[in-house]
Amino acid sequence: MASLKTKLQQLTKLQCALFETSYNPTSARTGAKYLRARLRGPAMVRYYPQRIPIQLVRAVAWDMNIVDSREEQRVDDVVDLKKRGKGAPKKKKEKAEEKGKKGGGKKK
Amino acid sequence: MTNIRVLRDIAARKGVKAHEVVRRAYLACARNQTLEPQIRYQAQLQLNNFGRYSRPTTVKNRCTISGRGRGIIGEFGLSRYSFRMKALAGELPGVFKASW
Repeated sequence: MASLKTKLQQLTKLQCALFETSYNPTSARTGAKYLRARLRGPAMVRYYPQRIPIQLVRAVAWDMNIVDSREEQRVDDVVDLKKRGKGAPKKKKEKAEEKGKKGGGKKK
Repeated sequence: MTNIRVLRDIAARKGVKAHEVVRRAYLACARNQTLEPQIRYQAQLQLNNFGRYSRPTTVKNRCTISGRGRGIIGEFGLSRYSFRMKALAGELPGVFKASW
């Protein structure tokens, strides 16, 4: 006569067969939880609100004379700096001599 | 205001979305104890081959206004300062200053 343990095991096996669930008496990891979990990527991508660049708006609605105040401020500042002789230095025409590696390498 | 860290985070989010399904498949293989150790090992090696911007843990919620990485109030996706400014301006429905 079969012991109670084996009987219970048989019962679970039958249950699994009936309800189409996987029979896993040793509780071995099958990796199913990684497949069952919902995908997180689509929600992750939606985190930052989409911003439309003002250049694009200006290009589309060119007749509306939309002012890009930040860009204008920047250009004004550059002119101001140049007046005071504090502008960016002019680019060298000759190629600078190579000095070993440039920068910190490629970033992925 | 967006800064480089926000752009990096956006890149990470896109990468996670792009690689998520394949990564999950490899992950399930690598963690499956019923498979051959050789197969699990190969799957783990494949997982290691993915770039940095494919792991969900690389993604960090940053402030959607200022781009700050610390002191984020998750429900609104804002840093504590941006949150305060928006709340005081009455732009967050249901949020008002406590007073008792």
